[in-house]
Amino acid sequence: MAIEQLRTTEKNNSAGRTSVPHVSTMDHYHKKAHFWGRLTLWAAIILTLSLPIYLSFILGHHPGWNVILTGFTAYAGVVVAIWFLEPIMYFPILGVSGTYIGFLSGNIGNMCLPSAAAAQNAIGADPGTQKGEISATLGIGAASLVNKLFLIPIILGGSAVIALIPENIQQIFPLILPAIFGAVLSQFAIKKPLFGVVALIIGIIVNIVPLVAYLKSLTSVIATVIICLLIEKKSNVKQL
Amino acid sequence: MENVMKLANSPIVWMIAAAVIFVVIFQGIKFIQLAVNASGDVGMSKKEVRSALKTGAIAAIGPSFAIVIVAISLIAFLGDPLTLMRVGIIGSAPAESIGATMGANAYGVDLGGAGYNAQAFTAVAWTLCLGGLGWLVFTALSTKSMSKIEKKIVGKSAKSKQIMTIITTAAMTGAFGNLASAEMIKGMAYVVVAIVAALTMVFLTKLADKLKMDWLREWSLGLSIFVSLCIGYFLV
Repeated sequence: MAIEQLRTTEKNNSAGRTSVPHVSTMDHYHKKAHFWGRLTLWAAIILTLSLPIYLSFILGHHPGWNVILTGFTAYAGVVVAIWFLEPIMYFPILGVSGTYIGFLSGNIGNMCLPSAAAAQNAIGADPGTQKGEISATLGIGAASLVNKLFLIPIILGGSAVIALIPENIQQIFPLILPAIFGAVLSQFAIKKPLFGVVALIIGIIVNIVPLVAYLKSLTSVIATVIICLLIEKKSNVKQL
Repeated sequence: MENVMKLANSPIVWMIAAAVIFVVIFQGIKFIQLAVNASGDVGMSKKEVRSALKTGAIAAIGPSFAIVIVAISLIAFLGDPLTLMRVGIIGSAPAESIGATMGANAYGVDLGGAGYNAQAFTAVAWTLCLGGLGWLVFTALSTKSMSKIEKKIVGKSAKSKQIMTIITTAAMTGAFGNLASAEMIKGMAYVVVAIVAALTMVFLTKLADKLKMDWLREWSLGLSIFVSLCIGYFLV
């Protein structure tokens, strides 16, 4: 209720300042998204740190800073580049609110992006537009909640639940990922067939050539964007 | 090993994990609320809002299953709460298992092997928690600046917005081109499943367009995954 009121007041205030009310609505939305996004992220950061601190210093199981540093640098060596590349690379796709939800709930490529794309597709919103951003946020938000709905009971029920699933069914679980990615890629290819073909060809080349994992993703995204922009430019010229 | 699991499943560890999951759930609800409030102003109907939510939820079912299956394999070494905490936030299950192995190795033992004691478990917890902080800290600090930069680049003209749509669509297609290819080079079954899923998607989308069935569009990703897995069942 209070939010609703705030929003209307803000809209009335800004109506005098600018002639484009949509932009100010979106600005206001982003302001709130930054506030709640940062608040939840910092809360998660503090809570995350509190666990090893509790184990080390309150229970006294401290393994020594040397060990911690060794483990951390070994792990960081694998993931450090992704810390920066992923949020930057996915920002144009996820938008402000999608970035905050996506990087807290994790599983960007295999869950958040497909959900965002499916939500935009269902209502015919283009990525990169305001409507696209709002529908992506709704899609990722719902996905994050559904994910917890699965995760919590199964972790609580533990391996007992998994044991109930017959082994021959469990064997097909590794195939879930190619199924998701194939379907989502074709969803884009239906709208822009050339984009789909370009992305697939680049994807296959990048994956055959020996490259570090995070560079594969980056190279595919950048190369596809550049080639698709050139294609669009050419077709625009032809139309003229 | 038994003592370690007792520690890993102790009440305080559970409380911290529960608090983290609470933050994630609270955030999801809060952002849905914000998006719903803004939806009218960007020209979305109530029906479209419901449709976007439903589609996102359905699309998450398949991936969630895959995530949970990998998560289960971590429970044996990390216990329930730490697994929930790591897989429930930023971590992806495969990355966490790499991190856990490295943390244990740094202490000089194997994950779950001889000598995997409370201190080794603490070393693993430090490695995973610190390792996952990178994304959170960077996102918390830089999202605002990225948003400002984007606004500056995009500007307000119709042409730059059109270009932004092309870039975003191409970026997303490129990301999935890479993800799909990385799976497809794993073997014949992977190629067949990806192609069947892609063809099912095309078929369902055309059908939904022709018959004007909105619900079918909402289910198209879930159904494509299901159909291709049924075919995949006979290949493994």
